[in-house]
Amino acid sequence: MNKYEAVLLLSPELSSSVISKEVEKFKKQISSLEGSLINEESWGLRDLSFKINNFKKSFYNYFQIEIEGSKLSEIKKNLTQNENVIRHLFVKVTEHQTLPTKINDEKK
Amino acid sequence: MMKRNKSKTYTKDENSNSPFDARKKFCPFSQKNSPIIDYKDIKLLTRYLSEKGKIVPSRITGVSSKKQKLLSIAIKRARFLSLISYTNKYNPQ
Repeated sequence: MNKYEAVLLLSPELSSSVISKEVEKFKKQISSLEGSLINEESWGLRDLSFKINNFKKSFYNYFQIEIEGSKLSEIKKNLTQNENVIRHLFVKVTEHQTLPTKINDEKK
Repeated sequence: MMKRNKSKTYTKDENSNSPFDARKKFCPFSQKNSPIIDYKDIKLLTRYLSEKGKIVPSRITGVSSKKQKLLSIAIKRARFLSLISYTNKYNPQ
């Protein structure tokens, strides 16, 4: 079981209900592939530093998951087909850092 | 014989605390409690970006080559997630 950090970017036009549905779908998919969700954090609506298919802002969601490496390509395929998710990134880590992440430090 | 006057050696003026001191010998990431390089830590990453958003070379910042590699991977990941811009240091507000 490898440890991964996943970052999902959801398009800003979605309402909050759709976003939580998307997040639920992602979590359900992980558990269906015998993965486990360790931790989750939402960075909320952030403005992008460059336009991604002409969106200026996007909802960021950060997950810490543990899953079999071979199952990951399945998740990636679904994410790329999903229009609501405009960008996603999986990073393999040796151990999970403690939350909260340092993403909001710049605001202080 | 003309007495050679001792030329006054200009010591580097100490108050120039430019972040990228040419003769910086220690690597800021290999100390005891140095920060961990992480693609989510934007404040740390922008310190190693030039005004045009390019990665500052390690011969100027004094970062060791192992850490510079981690740093560049983290910066490229942050750019992919558009946390950091490709073309300038700070996000254009």
